Amino acid sequence: MRTDGPDRCREWRHLLGAYALGDLDAGERAGLEAHLESCPECRAEAESLGAVAQLLPLADPDRFGRPAPQPSALLGERIAAAIGNEGRARRRRRHRRFGLTLTGAAVAAAAALAIFVLPGDGGADPAQHVEFAALPPGIHIGATLEPHAYGTEIRVYVRGIRSGTLCRVSLVGPRGARVPAGTFRYRWGEDSEAVLSSALDLSRTRAIDIRTGNRTFVAPVKGTGGPNQEETT
Amino acid sequence: MQPGALKGERDVREAYAAHSGELFGFALRSLGDAGLAEEAVQETFVRAWRAGKRFDPQIGSLRTWLFAILRNVVIDLGRARAARPAVAAPGVEPAVEPFEQALLSWQVEEAMRRIGEDHRRVLVETHYRGRPYAEVAEELGVPEGTVKSRVYYGLRALRVVLEEMGYED
Repeated sequence: MRTDGPDRCREWRHLLGAYALGDLDAGERAGLEAHLESCPECRAEAESLGAVAQLLPLADPDRFGRPAPQPSALLGERIAAAIGNEGRARRRRRHRRFGLTLTGAAVAAAAALAIFVLPGDGGADPAQHVEFAALPPGIHIGATLEPHAYGTEIRVYVRGIRSGTLCRVSLVGPRGARVPAGTFRYRWGEDSEAVLSSALDLSRTRAIDIRTGNRTFVAPVKGTGGPNQEETT
Repeated sequence: MQPGALKGERDVREAYAAHSGELFGFALRSLGDAGLAEEAVQETFVRAWRAGKRFDPQIGSLRTWLFAILRNVVIDLGRARAARPAVAAPGVEPAVEPFEQALLSWQVEEAMRRIGEDHRRVLVETHYRGRPYAEVAEELGVPEGTVKSRVYYGLRALRVVLEEMGYED
């Protein structure tokens, strides 16, 4: 009996699982082994499945018969809060160190700058995460806006655009007026998170736009509500 | 920024969405306590975020890196627990085998969950319960050859899932 060739492979291959588990009777096993002698592809498959079969005793059917356990729904938020708190504390320490190194004539300028960069009242108002939808494939942009006494802190995340691209960030007020928040240059391989700020209150911010080269990406912002939400001019 | 790096909070959120279930499942398997397992997962992501700039996707995947961090966290929590008086934890029994063995066992169990129901069922009935193929075939109302085929394709599916999970034989 010929035991090689593609047709023979099809005939024998479906037995390779039971063979790997040692479940074939003597007749089937002898026939399959004769085929394996002459077929390197099936032999390689038999060896590969044999390695998988050896792993099966490691698994307990009582365990995998139950649904996979899931963490509580709040765990993600707890992690985000822990990282957010540590990040804010880290920035605060950095800003304080920056302030202490300034002397002489720079002190006055530092005082003005400190008003601009120090966090506000410890984050009584929640930060808002903004998603940019309908982005071209491969491009990811996100932003987190945090209200402060001086206005809004904007942390922008960019990935996937050409390295070296200048990014201009603005907040859009209630009547469509753009308030510049600053610029940064995206560098591939470096931290893509830029921390910027704008004098526009988050409660009055309707959108954020980011101009990269000749493209502009806009995402709506919900503001933080409250009596100052509408412009009164 | 390197693709897959874990430098900003946004990256952590994405990594959490992709890997928290697996990390929690394995932490629970290792520690035997859901509260401790959540603590381990939280500490894993916080450590990963702190060390985000050191992550190099050319060395290994983000998933592999997170599991390496979880390994250290589980060991730390295990030591801390060993220093405290023992408290009986209801529910899942903690793993007593070495970490790599526990990880492999958990991977195989997770892979078994992910393959198709038809394939899982024939593997459970024939391999784990040791039932004859003919008996299983009769119960399922299919020819015995179909049961053998399902065993074959079940092992192939298991191999694919394990490879996706980073297993290399």
